[in-house]
Amino acid sequence: MTEPKTKLTIGAAVAAALLVAAPVQAEGEYGILMKTLANPFWGAMGEGVEDGAKEAGVDYFMQAVESDQAAESQLNVCNTMLERQPVAMITAAINSTNLLPCLKSAQEAGIAVVDLDGNLDPAILDAEGIDITFRIGSDNVLAGAQGAEFMVGQLGADATGPVLVIEGLSGNITGQMRAEGFANRLGELAPGLEIVASLPGDWDRGKAANITNDILTRNPDLVGIFAANDGMALGAVESVFAAGKGGDVIIIGVDGNSDAVKSIQDGRLTASVAQLPYLVGKQAVENVKMAAEGGSVEDQIIVPTLVLTKEVMEAGTEPLLEFVK
Amino acid sequence: MSTADTRTPAPKPNLWTRVQVGSIEQLHIRLESLIVLFVLAAMMAVLSPFFLSVSNFMNILLATSTIGVLAIAATFVLSSGGLDLSLGSVMGLSGVVGAAVAVKMGMPTPVAVLACIGAGAAAGYVNGLIITRAFVPAFIVTLGMLGIARGLALVISDGRVIYGLPQAMVYLGQGRPFGIPMPVIIFIAAAVVMHIILAYTRYGRHTLAIGDNENAARTAGINVERHRLSLYTLSGGLAGLAGLLFATRINSGDPTAGITYELTAITAAIIGGTNLFGGRGSILGTLIGALIMGVLQNGLNLLAVQSYYQQMAIGAVLILAVFIDQWQLRKESRV
Repeated sequence: MTEPKTKLTIGAAVAAALLVAAPVQAEGEYGILMKTLANPFWGAMGEGVEDGAKEAGVDYFMQAVESDQAAESQLNVCNTMLERQPVAMITAAINSTNLLPCLKSAQEAGIAVVDLDGNLDPAILDAEGIDITFRIGSDNVLAGAQGAEFMVGQLGADATGPVLVIEGLSGNITGQMRAEGFANRLGELAPGLEIVASLPGDWDRGKAANITNDILTRNPDLVGIFAANDGMALGAVESVFAAGKGGDVIIIGVDGNSDAVKSIQDGRLTASVAQLPYLVGKQAVENVKMAAEGGSVEDQIIVPTLVLTKEVMEAGTEPLLEFVK
Repeated sequence: MSTADTRTPAPKPNLWTRVQVGSIEQLHIRLESLIVLFVLAAMMAVLSPFFLSVSNFMNILLATSTIGVLAIAATFVLSSGGLDLSLGSVMGLSGVVGAAVAVKMGMPTPVAVLACIGAGAAAGYVNGLIITRAFVPAFIVTLGMLGIARGLALVISDGRVIYGLPQAMVYLGQGRPFGIPMPVIIFIAAAVVMHIILAYTRYGRHTLAIGDNENAARTAGINVERHRLSLYTLSGGLAGLAGLLFATRINSGDPTAGITYELTAITAAIIGGTNLFGGRGSILGTLIGALIMGVLQNGLNLLAVQSYYQQMAIGAVLILAVFIDQWQLRKESRV
């Protein structure tokens, strides 16, 4: 009499197994494809991956391309990595589409795909029929919004005055998301603060310094600057101090890299919305391992960002501070 | 001594020299580069267990297809004594134009494909017009176009990837008739056609003649300006084809596609034996040059060698190739 029941349980187990999206095989190498390592941010993420893999006891091989604009080389490297038949591909795509054909082949070969740093667009993945295991990273829109919240916290909700936004490289989605997050939240919180210019600084410190100079000439009463990364924020800092306006303008960057930390400690840069790339890398590997062992993993893992200021660093009580590299 | 030399009959060339000369005369390729390619492939096969497989060879060809098409364009322009630094940017612009016409304007695939290649040819035509009519050096004009085309690509696309090409268009980049990726088929077909044009037609001979000695070519009755104009247009059109291959491969027009590709394309052409200052060039040679780079990159990727070393390796191969070339030329001129 127990037979039908057993069949039923097996059926249920099979159904359950099928329901778990993109299963990860337990044994084998993890392929990790970064953008470039010639950048402290990706370097820290690489360290996180390395430490995470060591702790989890998994084999991995990591590759990167020569610059974070080498979209086609990254696709070629991705295709080559599939030849080694990894069990999972943890990929930080250069843009939302450049890896699509490779990710499709990975899926066909039963290789789990993980979106590291959230560069893939869910709508495009759906359209291409690619089912990723999970995405992990900080939320760039949120990081921009946190910058706006901090600025408004400093100036007050009824503050007025011109604000400058320095975007990333033209065409780069990450910079666009940060700038948009900042602009939208600033508009909500303090409509009196007017963004007088939003210009691409191409991630370049010198270019950001020039933009700041130009805008300071036009708007000498500038009250705030938001730059989509720390390098550009530091360029802005130089221009502001050179113009004798040091301390009058709130300058916020994004990343939390070591130069920015130093500048904040010196009282030059006001704040940086720190991402925690080390934690992103580490948690990515840990979660793939968990998925491989049959555990359930969330579709979207958001690693928090932290507004780094002189006060926060001096207090030293923020638990996330340990991961600021 | 020299008089004695002229009187002795020329020694019968040994087998190596005969094959060497034969390959240059019949196929217009240098044997050395072919040997480098095979040695490199053999080395990679020994070093990596993943190298020798059909799917990996397809990877190499696929990875070489865009840069290979650009290298064909570079070969034509370089061997005429010109230079096109706008190849990568024009490739990016064409991909965006093709995607914009297909996605934003909803045009059918043939129109989008024509728009894509046409945009490249138009950019090349403008290059050629300014070079031949306004007498601005090619270096300056194409350097300017490098900026203009990239900026225009960003303007048209609003700085974002234009995703979602029609199915038929995507087939050009992702289809695999007989298991061979479409971009590889298009690339090889383009290489064969362009090889025949450069090596065996009057158009090709005129191209090389202009590169060898512009004044002599003019004296011989070649309309140098018109020929140059057509060469830059051809170069732009091929950049458009490269843009089409990449855009259809990733199903989107990426305004940042092809950054610095002009230099990679020129590198492939020179490794393949094209003379940077004109007068000599062959598409099969360029094909081998591009494959040398492709095999090197693929092998180093399989070995998980950091990309920094790959750049060093390609730089070294470039210098080595030109060194062997010069050494051969000196040896020949001494004989």
